[in-house]
Amino acid sequence: MSEDVRRMSDELARDPSSRVFVPLGEALRQQGQLDVALKVTLRGLERHPHLADAHDLLARLSVDRGDMERAFDEWDMVLRLSPGHLGALKGMGFVCFHRARFAEAERYLAAAAALDARDDQVASALLHVRAAQTHATSPQAAIAESIANDSRYLFLEVLPDEAQTALLLDPAGLVLAGAYIDAEGRDVAQDVGAELSGVTEAARRATRHLAMGDWTSIVFETEVAVVAMAPSSQDGLLVLATSRATPLGLVRRLLARCAEKAQRWLDGQR
Amino acid sequence: MAGRAALMSTPFTAMLQTLSRQRGVTAALVVSESDGIVIDSNMHIGQSGDKVAALAASLYKKARLSARAAGMGAVSFMQLEAPNGRLCAVGSGELVLVVVAATAVNVGLVRVDLLRAAVELAEIAKRGGAR
Repeated sequence: MSEDVRRMSDELARDPSSRVFVPLGEALRQQGQLDVALKVTLRGLERHPHLADAHDLLARLSVDRGDMERAFDEWDMVLRLSPGHLGALKGMGFVCFHRARFAEAERYLAAAAALDARDDQVASALLHVRAAQTHATSPQAAIAESIANDSRYLFLEVLPDEAQTALLLDPAGLVLAGAYIDAEGRDVAQDVGAELSGVTEAARRATRHLAMGDWTSIVFETEVAVVAMAPSSQDGLLVLATSRATPLGLVRRLLARCAEKAQRWLDGQR
Repeated sequence: MAGRAALMSTPFTAMLQTLSRQRGVTAALVVSESDGIVIDSNMHIGQSGDKVAALAASLYKKARLSARAAGMGAVSFMQLEAPNGRLCAVGSGELVLVVVAATAVNVGLVRVDLLRAAVELAEIAKRGGAR
């Protein structure tokens, strides 16, 4: 453990409400100790939920961990707390570029450049974004844009493994978002949704009759898959399917991520 | 438990008693999947099984049919969770075995017992002992 990390850890141990958790988290991140850095940052955020720099750190940790969705949300929070935050402007530019949302990426990076014209990284990123925009009619860019706007691919970022898929159904079992491709390459989402119509209501009645409270999840195992379901807002149903080999703890985590994604998407539809 | 000793035993009696002996299990039922009717049960006093049986059978059937639509193969085990308890179920042919349990139940053990019982259910169904 480096001297700085030790000193900051001691300070945090003496005073858990100290803001030293931010530079400590950054130091741990630089050393590649992502899990520890994450733990320190999340604990610090419990005490300082409106600290922009802490959310910025969490965003960068999320990028390191491949969670672009979380990174976007955290930098979005930073900009609400601190509209001119340079790190968040750069970060949002990066995430938008990653999602092929070039116009937005340019806006964020241009704002960052206006704050610090000497930042070579921002200048270089802007050049890349502008070059990408001029080639935006390329098939790859067009595909990336259309994927980003197609609700069938809503869960693509949250479920990077091709053996994982998710559906968002309305109360009648109609598919709102997501896709289910079977072994023969057909999208059978509508068929699956049709069979699951009424699950939310039946589960609710069962648990209320037994005075168990509102149901939170249903998980069932099949020969080749594990399927997890959770209620979504407006009496909808979220369905996640993963390979049989997926540990149940990971299934729960993926289901929670899909639920967050689905809720944000539904909120955006109103 | 309600005194079962004086009642007629069925082919499902032993398996339901085994399941009910698990700490945290408050009811075990064998239900017809198609109509939700209770075929046999072992429940704590004060529990009513009919409504729950029908709903659990309906959920299991939906799981089974959706898995078939998705080409996932047969369903082996299903669990519904709520803040104050869980429902677990396995099926075999026309029959669904349902367990109602507290949150603190050892789900792993219940699952193992249920999967074993599902094999027994298949044997019973083969022998025509369901009716």
